[in-house]
Amino acid sequence: MRRAAPILAAAALFVLPLAFMDARTYVTLTVAGLAMGMLIFLVAAGLTLIFGLMDVLNFAHGAVFSWGAYVGFSVALLLNQRWGWATAPSVTLNVLLLAAAILAAMVVAVGLGILLERVIVRPVYGRHMFQILITLGATIVIEELIRMIWGPNDQVMPVPLTFQGSWDIADVIVLRFPVVAIVLGVLVYLGITLLLTRTRVGLIVRAGVENREMIQALGHNIYRYFTRVFAAGSALAALGGVMWAMFSQSVRPAMGGEQLIFAFIVVIIGGLGSVTGSLLGALIVGLSYNYVAFLVPKAAIGINMAIMVLILLLRPTGLFGSGK
Amino acid sequence: MTEARLTPVQRARQAERGRRFRQPAPYLRLACLVLAALVPLVVPSFQVLDLAAKIAIFAALVASYDVVLGYTGIVSFGHAMFFGFGAYAVALSLGKFGAPTYGHLAAGFLAGVALSATISVLIGAFSLRVKAIFFAMITLAFAEFALILAVQLTHITGGEDGLSPTLPGIFAVSYEGGRLGGIPVTGRLVTYYFILAICLVLFVVMARFIHSPLGRTLQAIRDNELRAEALGFRTFVFQIASSSFGSVVATVLGGCYVMWVRYANPESVLGIHVMLDLLLMVIIGGIGTLYGGIIGATFLLTSQTLLPHLRTLAASVFAGSMVMQRMTERWLLYFGILFILMVFFFPKGVIGTVRDALARRAPSPSSSPPHPDPPARGGCPTR
Repeated sequence: MRRAAPILAAAALFVLPLAFMDARTYVTLTVAGLAMGMLIFLVAAGLTLIFGLMDVLNFAHGAVFSWGAYVGFSVALLLNQRWGWATAPSVTLNVLLLAAAILAAMVVAVGLGILLERVIVRPVYGRHMFQILITLGATIVIEELIRMIWGPNDQVMPVPLTFQGSWDIADVIVLRFPVVAIVLGVLVYLGITLLLTRTRVGLIVRAGVENREMIQALGHNIYRYFTRVFAAGSALAALGGVMWAMFSQSVRPAMGGEQLIFAFIVVIIGGLGSVTGSLLGALIVGLSYNYVAFLVPKAAIGINMAIMVLILLLRPTGLFGSGK
Repeated sequence: MTEARLTPVQRARQAERGRRFRQPAPYLRLACLVLAALVPLVVPSFQVLDLAAKIAIFAALVASYDVVLGYTGIVSFGHAMFFGFGAYAVALSLGKFGAPTYGHLAAGFLAGVALSATISVLIGAFSLRVKAIFFAMITLAFAEFALILAVQLTHITGGEDGLSPTLPGIFAVSYEGGRLGGIPVTGRLVTYYFILAICLVLFVVMARFIHSPLGRTLQAIRDNELRAEALGFRTFVFQIASSSFGSVVATVLGGCYVMWVRYANPESVLGIHVMLDLLLMVIIGGIGTLYGGIIGATFLLTSQTLLPHLRTLAASVFAGSMVMQRMTERWLLYFGILFILMVFFFPKGVIGTVRDALARRAPSPSSSPPHPDPPARGGCPTR
């Protein structure tokens, strides 16, 4: 019963908006909300894993998200200007463009993540206050580098033709790109879960989340895993960045900071260190944001804060938090 | 009471009191105050007066942040939000209820303080119970929420345009109080001294706060939370007390800021930039030093005032080079790098580093720690 309570609460929240709108609007909003939730999940998963394993609250995560978005933007722009991959009416070329943008963003983010972990985070392991301060300093630098390289203004992200527009299923309009985002999010969740539960690396990472000293005592170099998890988390953030850029069809230097706040809310709701928790939290945040933005536009951010406060009151460690 | 019957704490405090006026610190603080008080009399330029008033406000603001960050060891990203509450409370009170009077001004301050106290206690109660690290995340979310509210509630806050209140009586721009010793007494001058007096009072209150038994308990919690808990302190109650105290001080300063610039908009009093400036100032001045804010605020605000000139200079020297122009435009980048370098190499800031250097050169003969304010291990709690 105790395990079922949060799931029941989420389900109730999921159906409640039906009372205020017609079913077609509801489906459209639900798809958009799930997509948004999945994209936030990509950011939150990295954040929660890094925190769970390394006890590091990485404020620079949002800046890596922005970097990913901009690298993906550059690649997409290049491919589209040179060969017209986005405007070509070919599904293969369109998908290739998305894949190339994501791959480039993730490669750059892995490099950035390793650099951040080695140079910025490693000297301050175990000191929370300094971690927050130093990763915040890194955020300033990384964001300013974006403004220096790509300029400070918003830019339009080229979206491949296949992902534009919508499908019309039984009079219900379902936008295409959100569906792609949902599929990708589910794949990433399954990927992370399989990696964590079915592989040796995942086993060690999970054990490290439980008890770091014991893993070290058993002869594993935990710092190597720190670097890997940090790089993987950064890659997820960059993936989220590219997808978000296509979802919103624009890139801005400050986009990462805004997503980071959503990711924080998600991680707090889901419980620090739990991947499943952040998936659930992200879906709650994405759905409630979209429903409320439709019903009471001005209260959209407020509803997430309210949910966060409510969950903290009921379960101070979050839905799946260990309370470590 | 004889020497032998004093507790170690009492003995340490006695030694501290005896040493107090043999150190340069109190004289330097006094010099800062005298300097600030002399500015309008010596330099007739408004730009300089404006800078001096902002330095005074931000020095006190950084000190209030330091009470939370440096003396309690919890990271808050909502400090600028409380500053903004004060600014908006005073601006609204003066602007929305007819002709401004002193009563409106006082009511604005009181309303801001009441709001900040309530909200900071609530935030603390939600987040500090579990993990001090939640506090950082939740204050950041709340600050963003407050910023969005201020932008969206246009009929109350004026949205992006903000509010431009007029001040009552002797604080008004039009006020002319004749000449006093050859200096024309204007509304600006009166406001300046009023703000300076408030900042002085706040500094004294904060110094008393951190040296009080409550303040010492906070430092104990910062240095070792488990031990403080084991000694029977309900740590999170103390942390809430400290963060609320800091927030209330920030609110009063927000009111002062609006009195000085006569303008409040989301970007200038609530935005993330105010928070970044605050962090930079506290890092440069020194975490856990209280008076570091004076150095941090002076450095940052002065350089921000000079930066536009520097940029024009750079633009004329490197005319035509797009890359150079972009590099000079992004001055926040250099502050960011400075910030990281400070955290790595001088985590105690200017004041902390100087104090350490002095302590090494002249080791104190007594067995007690050589300096009263900084913690023995510097301002880096491990939590």
